Amino acid sequence: MAELSYREAVRDALSRAMREDDRVFVMGEDIAEMGGSMGVTQGMLAEFGPERVRNTPISEMAIVGTGIGAAMQGMRPVVEVMYEDFLTLAMEQIVNQAAKHRYMSGGQLTVPLTLRTQGGAGWSPGAQHAQQVEAWFVHVPGLKVVFASTPTDVRGLLWSAIYDDNPVVFFEHRTLYGIKEDVPDELEPIPIGRARVHRRGEDVTVVATGRLVHEALTAAEQAEQEGVSVEVVDPRTLQPLDEEAIVDSVKKTNRCVVAHEAVTRMGFGAEVAALVQHQAFDWLDAPIERVGSKFAPLPFAPIMEEWVVPHADDVLAAIRRTVQRDGN
Amino acid sequence: MATSVTLPRLGQGMESGTIVRWLKAEGDRVEKGEALYELDTEKVTQEVEADAGGVVLKILAGEGEEIEVGKPVAVIGEPGEDVPAEAAAPAVEPASDGHRAEPEAAPTAEPEPAVEARPSEPGGRIKASPLARRIARERGVDLAGVTGTGPDGRIVAEDVERAATAPTAPAAAPVLAAPVGEVEVEKLSPTRKTIARRLTEAWQIPVFQLGIDVDMSRATALRERLVERVPEGGTKPTLTDVLAKACAAALMRRPALNAHFEGEEVRRFPSADIGLAVAAPEGLVVPVLRACERRTVAEIAVSRADVVSRARSRQLRREDLEGGTFTISNLGMFGVDQFIAVLNPPQVAILAVGSVAERPLVVDGELVARPVMTATLTCDHRAVDGAPAAEFLEDLKAFLEEPGLML
Repeated sequence: MAELSYREAVRDALSRAMREDDRVFVMGEDIAEMGGSMGVTQGMLAEFGPERVRNTPISEMAIVGTGIGAAMQGMRPVVEVMYEDFLTLAMEQIVNQAAKHRYMSGGQLTVPLTLRTQGGAGWSPGAQHAQQVEAWFVHVPGLKVVFASTPTDVRGLLWSAIYDDNPVVFFEHRTLYGIKEDVPDELEPIPIGRARVHRRGEDVTVVATGRLVHEALTAAEQAEQEGVSVEVVDPRTLQPLDEEAIVDSVKKTNRCVVAHEAVTRMGFGAEVAALVQHQAFDWLDAPIERVGSKFAPLPFAPIMEEWVVPHADDVLAAIRRTVQRDGN
Repeated sequence: MATSVTLPRLGQGMESGTIVRWLKAEGDRVEKGEALYELDTEKVTQEVEADAGGVVLKILAGEGEEIEVGKPVAVIGEPGEDVPAEAAAPAVEPASDGHRAEPEAAPTAEPEPAVEARPSEPGGRIKASPLARRIARERGVDLAGVTGTGPDGRIVAEDVERAATAPTAPAAAPVLAAPVGEVEVEKLSPTRKTIARRLTEAWQIPVFQLGIDVDMSRATALRERLVERVPEGGTKPTLTDVLAKACAAALMRRPALNAHFEGEEVRRFPSADIGLAVAAPEGLVVPVLRACERRTVAEIAVSRADVVSRARSRQLRREDLEGGTFTISNLGMFGVDQFIAVLNPPQVAILAVGSVAERPLVVDGELVARPVMTATLTCDHRAVDGAPAAEFLEDLKAFLEEPGLML
């Protein structure tokens, strides 16, 4: 066992894949000498050289488009888009090209592209550098979407993403890069499409993604002191979704909260709520609660940013609403 | 505009009723609010008022037919008005219609959730979570009778589970063996059905019994002195009244016995509202004597005489039967020495008393004949343990043997 940060865990998965497999290479803005704006690829240029750790011009469309071409030609590229806000610049490549080639070629082509990106609030980056846009990509048939929340998960899932024959949009969270945990020496690939139950509970299920997994775990600790037993489920992959894990949990607890940092409106939580109401309707004892950012562009002002994005106390308030009784 | 008169739900748990007697005939004029028919529900017989004024155009339910709540029983309108075909459908399908024996028509079928949208319910649709609705469906709980504790009074699963484990009203006590004779088939009356259902429920409860012999010399003497003081035409106290008073005094000292077991909680009551098992013509009923701990034996006698006479003439009201905290079943007048009563849930205890008869008793080393009564207490062991039950009997015995101790 070695203690790895989330950042190091991402690097570990990339480096191991590149050591074992010549088809894997990384590409993105400032990822070589600088080691990426978040420091994820630091040191990799020295080990793998500029052929396989490639700096690109500032053109997300070119980065992703090149990755798609390489993937179709048999490589297993991992491209980095510095901020997920900038995915807008590559939407054509992601949505109309990467997601469609396998289908439109009748399976003759595959696009085993991994598109790493990161975002998230908590450090006052303003409205254009911290959005959480994962739901946009869950809406597109042909893409897989991963959002890992722990070092172990991010390493195992990134490996599986690299070796998936479909394009995978792989979301990392800015504020999670520093969190550390003991990670096994052996890299255990984590299958795409399998949720993780972080904590068992009896009264309320919190389905949380990304940073909100940690906020939910904090809220669960507090709820426990109030006598409410909370189960925390992290889907880890948003597409495909481990519906069974979520539905089974809600059937046990009869109450459900969904929590993510993205705005609630039309968010991933809405999809989970629809799933739960349909497949666990007769098990629900309270309306499904959603926790997410307020429907506003992210403000620069730290105090305003903090007010807009959800925290553990918002999750706790939602948990309390699901177990609420008149008079308390 | 013709109005269809439907069978109302007169209390929680009521699913059907039998029209005993029509007070109006077809063609009679009836005012809104005027008594239209007598209805026998599972508990009581009472008059039901017309909810519209006009002329009784058609009567759809015959006397003696059991009608489901919400089914039309009559049509009221203006003289000469046509009765709409759909309103004129009889409340009870003819028995000869074999096609009705489909699964959904099975007598055990629970009321469909759609029934909950009845306009007769204040506020319209009942607010209940999907889980609460499913549990209600599975356990046959009528949500109309469940109090919601969720936000804005929403019924949640816990509420239904509580309701499912708490029978809504009295029942219980012993049933004498039917006499042997020719096989005579008698259709169960609603009261009899209720007795059957409630006793079956009560039988599931883990109970224990404790018995005690009581020297009734002084209690009998007390009763005789009280009778002497009754004015001309007044109600004479019976031993049952003395017993009710003594039980109330003992219950005040042992509140664990003056309680309801409600699934998740035990409710102990500040007042002894003592139910009295009374043999009424259609079966056992248990009217309640209120606040016996605060009333004199003479006052208890007046209440007792009132409810017993109304029980025998089938004129008990629903409120006469609700809210008992303890029950006494006395079969002494039949010469029964002792017996065991079946619990009357949610009450946690019931006392069965036999006759007061001269029996040999050892007093101060001497064998003497004394009027002795055997009392047998049945307790819900989920709520009460043996020791407090024994203490209650000890107090009761002391109060009956030396009534002055009640003071």
